[in-house]
Amino acid sequence: MRPSGTRASAALLTCVLLAACSQWRYDLGAPLGDITLPSPKTPLAEALQLLGPPLLVSATDSGFVLAWEHWRIRENSVGFRLGALGADFLSADWGDMRIKGEFLLLTFNRDHLLTSATRSDWDNHGGGGKAIQPLFGFVSVVDVEDLTEAMPQHRWGSSLLQRLPGTLNTNSNPDTGKSGLQQRGTPTAAGQQSLGMD
Amino acid sequence: MKLSAGLSALAISASLLAGCAQFESKRGVEVNWQSSVTGQLVSGQSTRRDVLALLGPPSQVIALDGESALYYLFEHSEGEGVILILYNRMQIDTRYDRAIFFFNEDDVLTEYATHLYPADEA
Repeated sequence: MRPSGTRASAALLTCVLLAACSQWRYDLGAPLGDITLPSPKTPLAEALQLLGPPLLVSATDSGFVLAWEHWRIRENSVGFRLGALGADFLSADWGDMRIKGEFLLLTFNRDHLLTSATRSDWDNHGGGGKAIQPLFGFVSVVDVEDLTEAMPQHRWGSSLLQRLPGTLNTNSNPDTGKSGLQQRGTPTAAGQQSLGMD
Repeated sequence: MKLSAGLSALAISASLLAGCAQFESKRGVEVNWQSSVTGQLVSGQSTRRDVLALLGPPSQVIALDGESALYYLFEHSEGEGVILILYNRMQIDTRYDRAIFFFNEDDVLTEYATHLYPADEA
């Protein structure tokens, strides 16, 4: 093979083997904007007119709770792979994630009057990591799956058709709308979810 | 000369391997809560039967200590990106069309709200 052909082949191979910078951007929902929080005792109808339908709903002992959320997730990663056919001789990865979000929570009593309203806005570093892994890549340095999953309402029907231990536990599941609600990314090993039966 | 040939080969290889991606994902119930439909509902008069007849089965039924709520959700994600080998970028936007209806102990509609993105209005 001619030297120029060898060089071109090497360049082509380099491009294939060196996966470089990747950026993922997620935008979930619509920004809440500069809304003014409804004052206490605001009727439910007024709150719905102001904010539209909530994204999350749940019954509580004293009434019910509604929540609106908006998430922006930025995932950046840089990786190098030296290998072929799925087996990496060596991979080096760096990843970083940034999370920006808004969450609005309103609680209502049984008379459909607002009892409390709270809002939080955040712009945080959501994690990341570095890894040098020989032969196989076992570790993902950035994980956003729990933040980008589908809304729990889609799982409501199937949650009632699980195997018996799971179905018996359904009413305690925060996804059902009967036992409170939780934000995306809430750790599952603590709180109510730790009582879940598989 | 050899260096420029190598760089050219690299540039050509990268351009040949460049790509783009576009995808969408839809989950949830069929959107039937256009304003022309929900305009037929009247708080204090319409019943749960009326809502179910107009909109069909909901995504979720929520029991609220004697009262109840029907929640309808349609989740639509659209993603697009460029794959340039040395730099790849994906943008995924997810929007939620939704409607919620509250009923009292007698199954009469008390409050409701709907939200629909213009693209799903048709």
